[in-house]
Amino acid sequence: MSGIVVVGLFEAVDPAAAAARALRALPLPEGDVTTISPMSLPDGAVCRDSRGIGFPKFTLVGWFVGALAGLALALATYLLYPLFTGGKAIVSVPPTLIITYEVAMLGALAGTVIAGFREMRLCRFRTRLIHDPRIQEGKILLCARVSGDEQAKRAIDAMKSAGGIDVRPEEGEL
Amino acid sequence: MNGSDHLSRTDPGALYRELSRSNLPATKRWFLGVGLLAIATLWGIGCFIYQMKTGMGVTGLNRPVMWGSFITSFVFWIGLSHSGTLISAILRLTNATWRAPILRGAEALTAFTLMVGGLFPLIHIGRNWRFYYMIPYPNSRGLWPNLRSPLMWDAVAINTYLLGSLTFLYFGMIPDLAIARDHATGWRKKFYAVLALGFRGTHNEWRRYHIASTIFAILIIPVAVSVHSIVGWDFGMAKVPGWHSTIFAPYFVTGAIFSGIAAVVIVMATLRKVFHLERVLTVVQFENLGKLLCTMSLLWGYFYFSDFLTVWYNRNPEEWEVFRSYAGDYLPLFLVMIGCNFVISFPLLCMRRVRRSIPALSFVSLLVVIGMYAERFLIVVPSLARRNDPFIWHNYVPSWVEFSIMAGALSMFLLLYTIFTKLFPIMAISDIQEHLFHTTDRKIGEVTADSITMPHDTGKGGHG
Amino acid sequence: MNIKWAMAIDLDRCTGCGACVVACVAENNIPVVGEAEAEKGRMMQWLRVARYWDGEYPEAQAVYLPVPCMQCERAPCETVCPVYATYHNEDGLNAMVYNRCVGTRYCANNCPYSVRVFNWFDHTWEKPLDEQLSPDLTTRSRGVMEKCTFCIQRIRRAKETAALEGREIRDGEFVPACVQTCPPGALLFGNMADPHSEIARKLKDPRRFRLMEHLGTEPRVVYLKRQKGAGR
Repeated sequence: MSGIVVVGLFEAVDPAAAAARALRALPLPEGDVTTISPMSLPDGAVCRDSRGIGFPKFTLVGWFVGALAGLALALATYLLYPLFTGGKAIVSVPPTLIITYEVAMLGALAGTVIAGFREMRLCRFRTRLIHDPRIQEGKILLCARVSGDEQAKRAIDAMKSAGGIDVRPEEGEL
Repeated sequence: MNGSDHLSRTDPGALYRELSRSNLPATKRWFLGVGLLAIATLWGIGCFIYQMKTGMGVTGLNRPVMWGSFITSFVFWIGLSHSGTLISAILRLTNATWRAPILRGAEALTAFTLMVGGLFPLIHIGRNWRFYYMIPYPNSRGLWPNLRSPLMWDAVAINTYLLGSLTFLYFGMIPDLAIARDHATGWRKKFYAVLALGFRGTHNEWRRYHIASTIFAILIIPVAVSVHSIVGWDFGMAKVPGWHSTIFAPYFVTGAIFSGIAAVVIVMATLRKVFHLERVLTVVQFENLGKLLCTMSLLWGYFYFSDFLTVWYNRNPEEWEVFRSYAGDYLPLFLVMIGCNFVISFPLLCMRRVRRSIPALSFVSLLVVIGMYAERFLIVVPSLARRNDPFIWHNYVPSWVEFSIMAGALSMFLLLYTIFTKLFPIMAISDIQEHLFHTTDRKIGEVTADSITMPHDTGKGGHG
Repeated sequence: MNIKWAMAIDLDRCTGCGACVVACVAENNIPVVGEAEAEKGRMMQWLRVARYWDGEYPEAQAVYLPVPCMQCERAPCETVCPVYATYHNEDGLNAMVYNRCVGTRYCANNCPYSVRVFNWFDHTWEKPLDEQLSPDLTTRSRGVMEKCTFCIQRIRRAKETAALEGREIRDGEFVPACVQTCPPGALLFGNMADPHSEIARKLKDPRRFRLMEHLGTEPRVVYLKRQKGAGR
């Protein structure tokens, strides 16, 4: 959802954590408070990841899709124009296993990539995303999605009193 | 790492400048180097075109030695590609904290050695322009490729591994591209902005990024093992004395990892020198790589001895003639191989002084790379030159065309790598920053040591 | 009637004259590569007469072994071709498809008898030698494998003639060029599935052996051992 997001820069983890605590007490739902940081922070240090992570199952889905594709490839090349080679059976089992395995792994990798990109919500080039390049100086950007000016004002106050720099409301998506 | 030299005492801006020196605008010297590499590559390509137009007879190949330097190079380059998998994947899964500075360089090494190695099957076939017969597509003759052939297993496996490694490389680069985007100006900013795909570093993004990276690491390891097993089976499946050995799959994988680590040492030492990364690529990285190299040297020696012992004990006449040639026409190469891979390297690598000296370790790694090329050659050629029917035994020496193409392949790899280091972050900046974030100084009595924080295991899955 | 082409080579009769090789070259449009290329091990003959020395001087004796393609039942060359350029046809022959070959040379590596040869260059026949080429088969471009086919062009022609005349192929109706030419009559060719053919009888000879039989390729070319005795 786009809307108003209150952002503030913090020099270190502890003031950011204090500010986040204050924001959650406003009250703001956990999913609306998040950080943008140059390195990953442990889950719960400042904010918590509210959405469950489901994409690993797409690895498995991709694996099975790939396995089926590999099996189909092997069987098709054997059976569509059967030719005797070296006394081996037309449907040779060990090569089929190898090809099935390889394409299955390719499918698993593809499934992980696609699902990962989707879950990380990358490639949103058209939308305006909240960001501050100053985090690369080692700072943490604390973001709080608010509904309405009243909540925005209280969020700004909470962040400022915890030591936030350049606290401001911004339009954009988290 | 002690005192004011500790990286964590560098502010992030300065750290970025230090780690991204390779991305500074290109100098005349850079263009000169790239130009020379491009000329060497073009010479190799020209020789290949000459070979394509004239015929494979411009090589030194003959009957019975139908495979020579091109297949040797193929196996060699694919073997080098196991470097990145080991470093990025295995070290990531085992939480080896020293891996951060070498991640990107090793992954890039994997991607580009695979690209170069994958060219050799196209170079070595007699009718290169008909390579697409090996691709399964519906055609007017209704013909399909023969998936019973190990060469087709090669095609599928190397494709999977190449796509997987490129994905792994790119995915791992996304946070670093975001950092580069935030620091860059001009056309570079747009370039990195597109490639970073809008990654910013939100908490959710980081968590999912770590889980995806872990899954990639888990997936790429079996792929890497299967790729070089399949390359080994090109030989293992054949009715050629000296090739038909059941040990070839693990033997080739071991050799690949061995040569891969040596390549990583050489590449990292070069990057360290050229881009002044002394504070990042420290003795810790090289010593640990040296320990791994030592282990792999021992493993390689173990596999080689096992193979040799079995043939020596059995004295099966067909195989024995091949091994006898190691004491005859192929003695110099055999000595180079044994010396470089084990006899000289292993004792040196056992010495702490060698492992902790970057020039010494680089020298040993160079020996290993040369020794491994000799080993591939000795697998391919003597078995064919001294095969079943003695009446058609014939030796093989690569021709100038083959040497040119080998040199062209090397310069192509260096060219790709150089351009990569110029355009993309060669240091895994986000990984290094994360490692530094978790590392503090801890005073124990009179000694100050590194202390690395690890979150308590909440049982909720890895964070990478 | 089932067809299973087979060849028997009587080593007692082989004198090592090499006429079979010349006949094969003439029949199958095989190029002559010249001395330089031959030195490099690139001779193109599909059939070779291998010579081995038995014993030491002054009792050394030459042993001649003509080696054509064995047309193996379990041909190791067929499984490893990535594009099906070589396969087992209905006559039990190992067929070679020049147009499909991409030149990986894996089949040549996998042939333990080393009977497969590779076209390292394009070949030209200067006038008037080009008039000697047989129109029944192609000349091969560079990059393509080739090997003995048991003169498949003669097999096809005989089959066509027999079909036109509405009969079976008779034993001895045609033979490959090498069999046709062998002066001492060391080579014999026929359909071993035909119980009345000469080769079916010859294949019961107690002198019979196959080359490198332990490799399990099941070759269709059977050799008859040289007998030792007075004057031999």
